[in-house]
Amino acid sequence: MNAETNSFVPSFVVFHVGARRVALSRDIVAELIASPFQYSFPHTTPLIASVVLRRGRIVPVLDLGPGILGAASPPARFFLVVERRLSNISERCAIPVQGECELVAGMMLPAAGQDEFVAGRLDLNGEQIDILDLEKAIGASAKMEEGLIPVAEAKS
Amino acid sequence: MTQPVNSSLSRRDARRREQVAVFSIAKYSFVISAASVQEIRNTDSLGGTVVELNHPVLRKVRHIVERDARSYYVVSGYEHFHLPPSRPTTVLILRDAPVAVLVDRIEEMAEMRVLLALPQSFRGEERTWYRGLTVLDRKVLPVANPLGFLTARELQQIEEQNPGLLESASMRKERERV
Repeated sequence: MNAETNSFVPSFVVFHVGARRVALSRDIVAELIASPFQYSFPHTTPLIASVVLRRGRIVPVLDLGPGILGAASPPARFFLVVERRLSNISERCAIPVQGECELVAGMMLPAAGQDEFVAGRLDLNGEQIDILDLEKAIGASAKMEEGLIPVAEAKS
Repeated sequence: MTQPVNSSLSRRDARRREQVAVFSIAKYSFVISAASVQEIRNTDSLGGTVVELNHPVLRKVRHIVERDARSYYVVSGYEHFHLPPSRPTTVLILRDAPVAVLVDRIEEMAEMRVLLALPQSFRGEERTWYRGLTVLDRKVLPVANPLGFLTARELQQIEEQNPGLLESASMRKERERV
């Protein structure tokens, strides 16, 4: 199904985190950026690898690899800029993605697996793709990384 | 005829600017407001008396340094930011806090034109460490909060464990001067 031909069917951005193909609702995806310059500085928040400067705004880079793959994502050239909901504000963050992204339309089906960060699944020509709950995926990754790294220091 | 001033430029120029010192610790650079720093000294030329704390309660603070009848807690910059051990050669003596910060070196003095808020995704100690982020020479740098090197709670902890040490060091220096 083509995303642009049917506005009543929700759209999703399908992308790779490492080898795993996952999807996010199109509504929270702002843009895809290539090879941004990344800056790092000391901090103690798990999961934030660096920040990028985008249109005068500071955008933290959050790696979903620890939660989704169980390990940090491989180095990425592309970053998906998404909108996070943090209590009563929204904030953009960048997720490193591997390979190509696709915009697809389809109905969200009930989640099949046990991962709590999976909100549902998408049937893409027979391939079952997990649709992420962004905040839960960030939470799971942060929890995983906290367990892996005792002293958090910004990666360079 | 003189061209009218470009409005966007004048707006840009009217923005509040701040003189800052750029310093480094390990492989990272930081910015601090020049107004919050009283002196920048080489550690070798600091002179004065260094007094060891009787009961160091924080890893990052082990000494007091006396300077011009005032005493300052010496905060190790790399311990403060949880960085690997570095070689501090410079000390920043702060103006509005009894704190002297050991840093590796001063990189430059510059003018800060923009102070960007730390994104809310940052939830750790950095919210105390930094006033925000700035952009200098196309690099994003954290702006150190001078009151974040030793919080009121940390100061209280040190003073409770080393009662009167800061005052007595200052008074001893004052007596020597008289």
